[in-house]
Amino acid sequence: MATTQSAIGRSITRGEGPDKVTGKSIYTADISVPGMLWGRVLRSPYPYARIVSIDTSKALALPGVYAVVTGQDVPETRVGRRMLDMPILAQDVVRFVGEKVAAVAAGSKDICDEALLLIEVEYEELDAVFDAEEAMEPSAPDLHPDMDSYTGLPQPPSGIKNTFAHITWEKGDIEQGFKESDIIFEHSFNAQLMHQAYIEPHACIVDASEGNQVNIWANNKDPYMLRDQVSAAWGVPTENIVLHPTSIGGDFGGKGSFMDVPLCYYLSKYSGRPVKMVMDYIQELMAGNPRHPAVMTIKTGVMKDGTIVARQARAIFDSGAYGAFKPRAYLGGADHLCGVYRMPNARIDSYTVYTNNVPRGHMRSPAKPQVVFAVESHMDMIAAELHMDPYEFRLKNVMREGDASPIGRHWSQIKALDTLEAANKAANVRDARPANTGIGMAMTDLVQGTGQFAAKIGLSDEGKPELHMAFWDTGTGSHTVLRQMVAEELTLNTSDVQIILETTANMPFSAGSGGSRVTLSAGKAVVAAAVDLRQKLVEAASPLLDAPEDQVSLQNGLLMAAGRSVTIAEVLAATGSESLTGEAHQTPEAPDLTSFCTQIAEVHVDPETGEITVKKIISAHDIGAILNPLNHQGQIEGGMIQGLGYALMEELELEDGHISNLSFGDYKIPTSADIPTMETVLIQGDVGPAPYESKGIGESSNIPVAGAIANAVFDAVGVRITDLPVTADKVLSKLQELGNQRK
Amino acid sequence: MNQKVRLKVNGTDHELDIPARRLLVDCIRYDIGLTGTKESCSVGVCGACAVLVDGEMYASCITLAASVDGAEITTIEGIAEDGNLHPIQQAFIDHGGFQCGICTPGQIIATKSLLDENPSPTEDEIKDYMMGNLCRCTGYYGILNSIAAAAKNMNEAAESGG
Repeated sequence: MATTQSAIGRSITRGEGPDKVTGKSIYTADISVPGMLWGRVLRSPYPYARIVSIDTSKALALPGVYAVVTGQDVPETRVGRRMLDMPILAQDVVRFVGEKVAAVAAGSKDICDEALLLIEVEYEELDAVFDAEEAMEPSAPDLHPDMDSYTGLPQPPSGIKNTFAHITWEKGDIEQGFKESDIIFEHSFNAQLMHQAYIEPHACIVDASEGNQVNIWANNKDPYMLRDQVSAAWGVPTENIVLHPTSIGGDFGGKGSFMDVPLCYYLSKYSGRPVKMVMDYIQELMAGNPRHPAVMTIKTGVMKDGTIVARQARAIFDSGAYGAFKPRAYLGGADHLCGVYRMPNARIDSYTVYTNNVPRGHMRSPAKPQVVFAVESHMDMIAAELHMDPYEFRLKNVMREGDASPIGRHWSQIKALDTLEAANKAANVRDARPANTGIGMAMTDLVQGTGQFAAKIGLSDEGKPELHMAFWDTGTGSHTVLRQMVAEELTLNTSDVQIILETTANMPFSAGSGGSRVTLSAGKAVVAAAVDLRQKLVEAASPLLDAPEDQVSLQNGLLMAAGRSVTIAEVLAATGSESLTGEAHQTPEAPDLTSFCTQIAEVHVDPETGEITVKKIISAHDIGAILNPLNHQGQIEGGMIQGLGYALMEELELEDGHISNLSFGDYKIPTSADIPTMETVLIQGDVGPAPYESKGIGESSNIPVAGAIANAVFDAVGVRITDLPVTADKVLSKLQELGNQRK
Repeated sequence: MNQKVRLKVNGTDHELDIPARRLLVDCIRYDIGLTGTKESCSVGVCGACAVLVDGEMYASCITLAASVDGAEITTIEGIAEDGNLHPIQQAFIDHGGFQCGICTPGQIIATKSLLDENPSPTEDEIKDYMMGNLCRCTGYYGILNSIAAAAKNMNEAAESGG
């Protein structure tokens, strides 16, 4: 008899692999529904304007056009993930370049585009504000006069102009801390506007053409939350809204937004046909839901020996014209603005502010890449002033077991020092380096999120487990890892386990992907369902084996007792499938631990041009057990290269609310020719919170990269760049300043 | 204005009556119904829509279908041989060559084009050739490893078979 190996800890290849490599995987844009029309939108060319009039008559008269809708044809309700502040179509006012003003449904994309050209809109421009700090001034235009009445504000109104969230985190007595400090340092930083750059643009199909049921296909990773958002916007009960499974072509936080779905419903209603909307990449870059830019100031009081006594930090996040694309209305990651260091006194103030820019959404570890760039640059700037080695300065202050975090959180395992030391050991930091070459380090932690998930495991006619979920894989390989868990609990091979994706109508609520929560939260639900099924198999096998339940065990896929055995298929044949279903629907407790990551970048800077070549990035992580090494490593490496793009090249260039680099030809993301050597150092932590003592790994590796690279550039040529991205132009200009000073 | 266009796609002849300005990517995806070819950037720089036209790699999002009238076209659906995965496809599965999979059809078409030209590329040659195929998930080493493994497996199979 073949013995089944443990399914856990092995590089099981992706179950959907054959479909992915043959073009058979079906993404939203690939789906066709009988009678389907195309939908396209007309967007505002102005950052802030009153709509005086819209004339759609010529567009409606165009042959092949089935419906044209404007703000007057849709309810005035506002839609949002948490904060309901975005109209379905502009109502009288547009607040950013790219805001949806009208939409067309027609027999082809070409007819849609022709019809859009025939819509006449008269605008009256208003005085706009593009800078978040200016938007907070009392004299700034009031972009949302009804803000105080919006549903989903995270707290009572701040009282600051255009500022819908002012969140603070505090520990100790910050004023007293500064009084006790020997020296105080203060520095300011800027982080840029970045796009998630998933290769698959947003797409959806909405079919509201028949009866009460609304069918939706959308590349949205949170199908139940999307269902609830559009239910509220449309006034359609959730039980009438069905989300269908689809492959998702990359997420990185960007695919949690409803995007065109609320609007597409009205195109379907008015045309009486299913309607498909696919954003092209110009629209994605103009009017997607990019990562927030931030203006940050950090002030730190230290003793002469480098001990941190107090730190006060402020971040202003430009939310753009709406807050609707954020799951929490503010950015929780701003709580990392004081870093992973021990300090008795700390305070963080985070502001989220309306401007006339494109609305921002979530991107991989929301707010952390911004604030960790700031705090880790600040750490090196202080070390330089104190004539301390950046590594020694961190060693002195980094959190250790038993320390509270700067904002007073307590974790059960603190492996910050371990990752710091391991990364430094791997980098041979004390080695001599060639001229204009330097190293820089940065560190962070990341707490895994939790969420509710539902899983149901039945058996096929052959007795093979079938895992039913309404949970779409965003590309991380989560379906394969969940199948591994079922295999492990039922002592089978992963290849024996199939995942069957259900519509939202067939399963209770599940949170989608996000916040590094899937392995933990979806995993626990799947393991619980598998344990439930195993118990039912044991109960059912007991009479067949003529043995009490407590003597029946499941081994290598066989139910065994006293030297006898029956297969799962035999138990199924004897018992029927009805009673052999394992189910779980649960939310795990939030874990009391976090995961640390230290990265070290080695760069060369060309002093003649300022060009930066990243030669190597080392990423040290404290991890739990690894469920699937291939997937685990893929998350780390993919995150590092997104961090590299953030550090060096990616920026949506905004001028007066207009983004100028509207294609992948101009908005550069890293290519295969840009990647440095990547070295991963894995430090086994004590126990992970997820099944089999594992931990999530989806976000941390993209966080410290920018700080590490900025610090390495300083080490290489003595130039400090405090606004991302760190480009050759900025470095060269600073090098020239330095040169002039020396003359 | 419509135009008659004849294309041989993955060995099957198609005679199409389509607008003269029809893009090859739309023709393949919507007129012929092969949705494995993806569209992302629409300006010919990301590689998602790559197909082989008479053996040469084209960005189908900036190619008019009418301009390749009479050509033999290979899409991702035409890479597998006799129902078996091509060694390139198998290598992408085995070595982490994809995560979300949206760029994968283009990556595999580009790899086929590379290995047809240069069966034993160095790592630098692979990085250079694949520069026009963006991937946002993997950080590229998974793809580079897949290509190197595919080249090795194909060369070994050719030797043992030859």
